[in-house]
Amino acid sequence: MSRRPESERSDWTDLDLLTREEAHGRLLAEIAETDVRLSELGESDQAERELLQSRLRALREAAEDLIDHSKKN
Amino acid sequence: MPLQPWMKLLSTDDHLIEPPRLWSDRLPAKFREAGPRIVEQPRGEGQAPAEVWVYEDRVYPYIGLNAVAGKKPEEFGLEPTRYDEMIPGCYDPKARIRDMDLDGVWGALCFPSFPGFSGHVFLDGKDRELALLCVQAWNDFVLDEWCATAPGRLIPLVIMPMWDVEACVAEIHRTAAKGAKAISFPENPSPRGLPSFHTDYWDPMFSAAEETDMPLCLHFGTSGQAPKTAPEAPFAVTIALFGCNAMYATADLLFSPVLHKHPKLKIGLSEGGIGWIPYLLERSDGTWERHRFYQNVNQSVRPSELFHKHFHGCFIDDRFGVEVRHHVGIDKITWECDYPHSDSYWPKSRAYAAEVLADVPDEEVHQIVELNTRRLYNLPA
Repeated sequence: MSRRPESERSDWTDLDLLTREEAHGRLLAEIAETDVRLSELGESDQAERELLQSRLRALREAAEDLIDHSKKN
Repeated sequence: MPLQPWMKLLSTDDHLIEPPRLWSDRLPAKFREAGPRIVEQPRGEGQAPAEVWVYEDRVYPYIGLNAVAGKKPEEFGLEPTRYDEMIPGCYDPKARIRDMDLDGVWGALCFPSFPGFSGHVFLDGKDRELALLCVQAWNDFVLDEWCATAPGRLIPLVIMPMWDVEACVAEIHRTAAKGAKAISFPENPSPRGLPSFHTDYWDPMFSAAEETDMPLCLHFGTSGQAPKTAPEAPFAVTIALFGCNAMYATADLLFSPVLHKHPKLKIGLSEGGIGWIPYLLERSDGTWERHRFYQNVNQSVRPSELFHKHFHGCFIDDRFGVEVRHHVGIDKITWECDYPHSDSYWPKSRAYAAEVLADVPDEEVHQIVELNTRRLYNLPA
């Protein structure tokens, strides 16, 4: 969400630029959702499974890169 | 699932943040000091300094956000004001492609940020020679660097030196020769102090757009006038009414001479939704039927006919618009993502589009998310 304090937020402030924190939060949420979908899939659909695993890897890498950058700064 | 995995999502409304050296790398040495450049400004104890654009002697407080309407000046600077506070996909084209891949998005047409969505900041320029070079530098960055990183995926949109229509014509032809696909232009030039659509001032530019087959993209807000009902009204009123800017632009053009004089001109309504279109066309046709006789408007072509010939719109989450899509015209609808603004659904834009389009036949979904944009913007598959 916005870096602005809660008291100063409005819908409009959330139309602003996606911040690192917000992007990171969205990535973590998507990772969690993808994890659930993967576990629900079981071993039945191998092609779908591979797609989800590949997406999960990419999401995790992107989330880690955002954290690494924050630590560096 | 109507949105099939093989359909490529093409967004007609995304944004880029200009990297710090965009102008200093491209302007002649004598203009580098006066041209846009990033400088640091203190932000208070314990905080890294803000990075702001300085152009001539003016400071522009946002590097990434020009969506400042409704904000008090004292609120400027509370949002990210340093490049290292942004996600790199804002300003680095390789990172953008990576973020698009995560989002399931194939292509994106990106509007400017610091120059304003239609490049109007350069209207402020005291030195017109420098302002023209600044416009050309932005366009060259987009063509030679941003879009060149991923040809066919990052779609080049260019801005105009709007203070000089002949310079606009020259810039259209120069950039078209380099591969530009679209032109950003104010939804209404009049509030910017420029001649309106009801004059013949822009005719040479519109002719150049026709000759090069590039749509004019009218992003909402580019008139500089946000809908506002009262000084005390909460900004929610303005936000709720933003689509009205696209309605104003559409009615303005439909009752102007522009589309009658320029039969091949294409108009893109960028970020305004589509659900309002059937109502406005019905209302405009009714107005034309009853009131055309005593006004200086075209007497032979119905506004709705003009709309269907010239316009297209886009949506992110306009479910009503999707429901009335046949009244809008399936071939008039494109999809938008709005990355990196936080009202985008990144990194699940594709999943969200699939949800919004779940009840739409596959063939129509393909038109909306990919084929219409390829046709309108001349993007080969």
